[in-house]
Parts: sequence; C-alpha cells; structure tokens
Amino acid sequence: MTALLSLRGLHKAYRGDAAPFALEVPEFDLAAGEALALAGPSGSGKSTLLMMLALASPPDTAEGFGFAGQDVLRLWREGRRDALAGLRAGKIGVVPQTGGLLPYLSVAGNIALTQRIAGRPDPARVLTLAEELGIGAQLGKRPAALSVGQRQRVAIARALAHRPALVLADEPTASVHPELADAVLALLKRECAEAGAALLVATHDPERAARAGYPVLACVTHAPGEDGVARSVFTRAPLAEAA
Amino acid sequence: MLRLALADLWHERVLFLCSALGCAAVLAPLIVLFGLRQGVVAGLRAELLDDPRAREVVSVVNRTLEPALFDRLAADPRIAFLVPRTRALSATIVIENPAREGQGVRMELLPTAQGDPLLPGLVPGADGLVLSATAAERLGLRTGDAALASVARSRGGEREVLSLPLRVTDIAPPAAALRDSAFATVPVLLLVEDFLDGTAAADARPGSEAEARARPFAGFRLHAARLEDVPALDREFRLAGIEVASRAEAVAGLLRLDGNLALLFLAIAGAGGAGYLVSLGVGLWAQVERKRRDLALLSLLGLKRRALLALPLIQAAAVALAGAVMAFAIAASVATVLNRAFAGTVTGDRPVCLLTAGMGLAAAGVTLGGALLAAVLAGLRAAAVPPAEGLAEG
Repeated sequence: MTALLSLRGLHKAYRGDAAPFALEVPEFDLAAGEALALAGPSGSGKSTLLMMLALASPPDTAEGFGFAGQDVLRLWREGRRDALAGLRAGKIGVVPQTGGLLPYLSVAGNIALTQRIAGRPDPARVLTLAEELGIGAQLGKRPAALSVGQRQRVAIARALAHRPALVLADEPTASVHPELADAVLALLKRECAEAGAALLVATHDPERAARAGYPVLACVTHAPGEDGVARSVFTRAPLAEAA
Repeated sequence: MLRLALADLWHERVLFLCSALGCAAVLAPLIVLFGLRQGVVAGLRAELLDDPRAREVVSVVNRTLEPALFDRLAADPRIAFLVPRTRALSATIVIENPAREGQGVRMELLPTAQGDPLLPGLVPGADGLVLSATAAERLGLRTGDAALASVARSRGGEREVLSLPLRVTDIAPPAAALRDSAFATVPVLLLVEDFLDGTAAADARPGSEAEARARPFAGFRLHAARLEDVPALDREFRLAGIEVASRAEAVAGLLRLDGNLALLFLAIAGAGGAGYLVSLGVGLWAQVERKRRDLALLSLLGLKRRALLALPLIQAAAVALAGAVMAFAIAASVATVLNRAFAGTVTGDRPVCLLTAGMGLAAAGVTLGGALLAAVLAGLRAAAVPPAEGLAEG
C-alpha cells in the first residue's frame, strides 16, 4: 500500500529563537493509521514541520509532498488555497499546543466545528467522543469555564470529530501537568487507533512518548555551519513500495 | 458560517449592542431630517395640489389663436386638459331663475369640456350649465332646475336679446370659482360671442363641438399634467408671446425648496454617514486584529477564504440591520412628538415629519450597503490571516 503522507527532499528555512534555522526532511513516510512521535528540543522545527504537514504553510523547496493521494506541492505552486483548505477540512485534525478553542462557542459547538466545516455533521459522534474523553458533562459550557486538561480533551475531540485520516498534535502535553500528560498521550493514541486515523505528535519529551507506546522519530540537529545556519533533520526510511 | 458569525456577536453582545447603538445614533437624526423634508415638501405640495387652480395656465390677453396651435397643445404630454376661450368682454351672461322673473344675475361665462380638473366628473352638455356655488345660491337654483341665459346687444339703436333656455346640470365645487360664474361648453360661448359681434341672429342656437373647434379663439385655459410642468409651460408661452397667468412662481418656489432641502439633507447625511462608516470599518478592522488567532484557527481547520471574508461582512450586516431598526424606532417616536408639537402650524393638518415603511427599508438598505463596504477591507484582512498562525503558540 502507498503511504498516507510522503515527503521527499523537503527544505524550509525559519527563524529560531536566535540563529537562523533550516529544517530538512530528506525522506519521510507515514502509513494510514500509523502513530508516531516527532521528538526534538524546543526550537528544532517540530512545529514548523507540523504546519507544513497541516498544509498551513508551504515548504521552501521540495521534491515530493504527497498527502492522501494529492500532490500538495502542485496545489501550493498553483496557489489553490481553497483546495488546500478543503484537504485540511476533510482529512486533517489538529490539536494545537493550547486548546485553541473558540470562546464564543459551547464545548459541543467547538467539537462539532470540524464536522460543520467539513460538511459532515454527526451529533452522535460528538456525544460519543465527549463521553469517551470524559467531558460529556461539559458539552453545554463555554471553554472559559473548563480546566486546562478539559480544554485539551475538547481539542482532541474536535480533531477527531470529522473522522480525519491524519491527526496532528503540537506539544499537546505542554500545558498540562505531568500526570495528565501521560493520560492525554494515551487518549490521543487510543482514539486515533479506534478511528483509524494516523497520528503525529510533536514532543520535546521522547521518554514520555515512548512510555505511552509511541514509536519515536528524533530529529538530528547540526550546529551552525559555515553559512551560520543551524540545521535540523527529520528523516525516516520510506515504506516498502507495494509490488 | 452564519451561525459562527452570529454566535461570536452573541458572545460579545454588549459590544454588538454598542455598535448597533452607534449606528442608530447617527442614523436616527438623519431619518428624522429626511422625514421633515418629506413632510414639509409633501405638505406644501398637497396644499398646492388641493387647489385645482395650481396646475392651471390661462392666457390673459386676447389674441387670434389658430386651430393648429390648439392641436399642437392638445398633443403635448405635459398638458392634461385644454379648453379654448372666447374674448373676455364677450364672456359675460345674465342668468335668470324662471321662477323669479326679473332678478337675473350678470356673471362670468367660463368654457369647460370633458375632463375639466376644475369640475371633476362634471360636464354640462350642449344645453347645460354648471353654476358656481355662490351664483346658484343667489339665484336659488339647484341641480336639475331650468335656467334662462340671456345676452343683449344694441343694433341700430334697437335692443336685441339672445335667450337660451338651459338646465343646471351641476353646482361647481367651491374651489373651482370664488365669484359668481357659469360654466358652459365652447359652442355656447361661441354663440354668445357671435351674437355680440353681430354675426348670429337672436334666434340662433349653439353649433356642434367639432364646428367650434375648427375656429380660431382669443385664448385658452389649460391644466398641466404635473405640478412640475407649470413653470416650464408658463415660460414657453411667454417666450412665444402669449401672455399667461399661472402659479408658476409658487410652484417654482416649492420645487426650489424641495431641491434645497434635498441638498441640505445630502450634505448632512453624507458627512454624518461617511464618518460613521469610517468608524464602523475601523472598528471591524480592529476586531479582525483582535480575533486574529481565532480566524487563523478557523483557517487551519479548513475554512475557505470566502467564508473567512464573509465573517466580518455578516457581522457588519447584523450591526447595520439592528442599528437601522433601532434608528427607525427612535425616529418614529421623535416624529410622533414633532407632529404633535407642530400640529396645525407649518403644514396645516398634515404631519410635519413624514415617515413611511418604504423610507425605513431604504434607510436599512443604504446602511447595509455602507456597512458591507466598510467591512470588505476587514474581510479581506481576515481572509489573509495565514492558517499557520492557528497552530503557533500565541
């Protein structure tokens, strides 16, 4: 079978905390339904990579960028932003670092948001997800009335509500206390596995991810070279091509 | 999309209420002002229109006007009614009530015809007569009574009298004639004139309408189709050398007032409205900046550009509509107070401030258009928020 996500020779420059950084992804494949943790120190470009995978920002250069059978590179090149938005809406679920909930919608409204944007309303799934994530009693409340951990779980439910093929989570445990962090990682993995969605979690804590049962892909960082640009490399052997 | 935009507004309903109130605060005085203009102009216009003589244009000097001129005037779309008249000196007649012999009254004989605005719905017919209210009272005549019309001439020192037995078919409304007067068809007037000129015998009877119309006349009486046409007709006749009397001055004055009030209104509405729209636009722009993260998140979740563009537009539309409704409610109550305070002064018993549902709709429409225009910039800004910002730590 072909990979859900396939990157080749991708390059993106970005500004780190101090020095200029370059993110390189020579090879990276992710199969449908696969879970993976992307590990690297803070500022190593995990978020930048996730943004590109979320089809929210384009790579500077790349040889290949396939997602769900679509040539993402071509969509960027041709400036088809609505097609990219459509892909984001239909196939991708995102769990931002800090909840990122809309304050003016109820918890139920926030969870149903991805369904509504994707045009696939499914109130029963909103209920089921909320029950599984232990926020069934909060559905009518506004995000401001929830604890940080509850908000994070609402964000997870929202990322899964429209049955995406890929869930991206950027440091989902950064803003919760350590005990809760394990639970959040486990929840994510379990829910994605149940929904058959591939999962990519960016984390600065590879041990915790490994403990939660995630395969870990660590980034290799290189000190600034002659050009003064530090490089950060994520690479992963390609999946065996179907015969 | 709509629900999202409205949920946002509802969440910040105090802010929304403030925006709508701001809109109403600018709009309400404008609506009142517009209503005043409408009321004053409509009142003056109605006063003029109530008087059927307002649209009247009468030639005042005796000339010889050929039938061709009358044909041309009859074809003019600005002229609703036209009747020729005989010389002023030969247009007097003595009317007598047969029951009160010897008590005849001398009065002005006026021409009329089908569709005369002075006598709505009344045509005397070939042997009929419409009397002014005062004349009918003095003669003790009522509708349907027989009357005797007579004209006298002296020929070779001998007095000859033309006597016409006529029937009073109607009494003219008071506005048609203030003095004693009698309305009759053109052939009757022509017969009187011919008799006085000596070309008709004392036992002659009125000819046909068609014959009459083929002859030249000394003058005419016409009514313009619209009030606005009166000044132009008046000017054209004078330029053509036909001296006329009309209310052209009063009508032109009203039209000038109408135009000036419209200009005044435009100036005030333009200044106030533009100021408000700028402030609304700036407010929406600031809102987009404030909500940048939410917008970026929506974009990241896959909301398309035109949906993002629509968010501020929908919100602006909601503010404008709510503002317009409030403004109209305020204006309507102010108008009620004004109308009560000014009752019977400026515009008689008509409302001094005139508000209609059509005006409300127009006000809402204009406000909506302006608000959408002001929101487009904010919308474009919202649509341009990069989705990547939704993921970044704020």
